[in-house]
Amino acid sequence: MMRTVWALYRKELRVYFVSPLAYAFLGAFLFLAGLFFYMGIALTGEASLRVMLGNLAISLLFVLPMLTMRQLAEEQRQGTFELLMTSPVRLAALIVGKWLAVLTLCTVMLAGTLLFPVVLAYYGQPDWGMVATSYLGMFLCCAAFSAAGLFASSLTDDQVAAGLGGILLLLPFWLVGNADALLGEEYRDLIDLVALLPHLRSFTRGVLDSADVLWFVGFCFVFLFLTYRTLESRRWR
Amino acid sequence: MIEAHGLTKRYGPLTAISDVSFAVQTGEILGFIGPNGAGKTTAMRILTGFLPATEGRAVVAGHDVFESPHEVKRSVGYLPETPPLYRELTVGQYLRFVAEIREIPRSERLRRVGEVMERVGLTGWERRILGSLSKGYRQRVGLAQALVHDPPVLILDEPTSGLDPAQVAGVRELIGQLAGERTVVLSTHILREVEALCGRVVIISEGRVAARGTMDEVRALAGGVRYRARVLPGADEALAVATAVGALGEVDEVRPAEDGSLEIRATEDPRTAVAALVAARGWGLAALEREVPGLEEAFLAVVGREGAA
Repeated sequence: MMRTVWALYRKELRVYFVSPLAYAFLGAFLFLAGLFFYMGIALTGEASLRVMLGNLAISLLFVLPMLTMRQLAEEQRQGTFELLMTSPVRLAALIVGKWLAVLTLCTVMLAGTLLFPVVLAYYGQPDWGMVATSYLGMFLCCAAFSAAGLFASSLTDDQVAAGLGGILLLLPFWLVGNADALLGEEYRDLIDLVALLPHLRSFTRGVLDSADVLWFVGFCFVFLFLTYRTLESRRWR
Repeated sequence: MIEAHGLTKRYGPLTAISDVSFAVQTGEILGFIGPNGAGKTTAMRILTGFLPATEGRAVVAGHDVFESPHEVKRSVGYLPETPPLYRELTVGQYLRFVAEIREIPRSERLRRVGEVMERVGLTGWERRILGSLSKGYRQRVGLAQALVHDPPVLILDEPTSGLDPAQVAGVRELIGQLAGERTVVLSTHILREVEALCGRVVIISEGRVAARGTMDEVRALAGGVRYRARVLPGADEALAVATAVGALGEVDEVRPAEDGSLEIRATEDPRTAVAALVAARGWGLAALEREVPGLEEAFLAVVGREGAA
């Protein structure tokens, strides 16, 4: 099981890095990060990453489905899914291998933005504890978005549909956090359950709460499980 | 080596295959033939464990496909209709990946990949990107992929479709070499291929087994051996000729064919008698031959002309 996860993980990273796609997204992401960093400092005048990270999180919501969109859709379109499923590969190993590969790519992207806290340290006194929890929050965001992106990719063999579907799937989780005024009190519990922003906010404020970590872990689990069920049921249709 | 019992696959109201049964012995090549869309691919996917059957049972290499799919997957090499390739990878990267997911120990992987590349004629192509390969070479990589874990059972879905004649000959030769050590199931709608390679045939039509047996058994469905005589002068005396030939002791039945020749069915070879008769009457003899019906005739007889694509 572990060996096939490892094989699939390496294959996946190799496919990412031979195509220009990964570099394009990496470049675009770092460019945006730089822009948000500059804007954050220019607008607030404080030595903080809050503005940059807040904006990066919403960019990730758009970037990650683009990174995951090909992963399962392309396997199904090119017929390689059949290769994997006629080899002694467990479906769970396939999904976990792919998920870990995206997470590795995300780690590289996030590591690139570590330049900005370092720059900040020259000019001010950043709160390193807050930087650390913020990055943990960003990473958990990546994990959650890629799990949902994988699920979208399992639903279709069309990459573009998978990418757009992933974004549309994620947007409600993001937006609902701002919708409590619109929806009224009776939906309070539901909003608390699904809204992503309150959980992310505590990380960016330097608060590390196990409940928030658990929320992200649960989010990943639900979507990876749905991915599993979708792929499993594909064989029956 | 392979046994299929009453395999049925339904997709909702649609029945892809229904009650398909056959058996293949170790070392045999089974030709799986039928018109396009007859259910060949569905049956093969069930044998590989990719698709679960709605009903029925299949045993491959001693393992039940539905109860222990992983053991079956370890003993089967499968080439789908289009080779399942990652366009971005090189030939070497791809085959090493496949070797890895097929659980070949690390120490043997490079050696196995090298061997299998040599076997299918890919030596020196290791660094080529799969997406840039021609159809023939993709097919070779597909075969290499199916062979890399040295499986006792090979399932090949139309392995020569889309290849040029030289490539077709190459792939056929390779499959011929593989038989004996391996059990092969080969699907195709090219009947000459089956006649050249297979000892056993299953004809599948509209999801059902229309005929099965050894090559000779299936050929016999078209009516067995017959003789054909073309006697001159043709048409005006045709009836007289037919009557005279029919009166010979060796001949069971004579039927004038559309092209003016006589189709003769006989238990013993009647050619000497026919020749003597023609000579005695002073007719001319343009042709006198023994005909063994081909698989194509059997196929058309079983499937029906409108069903044949």
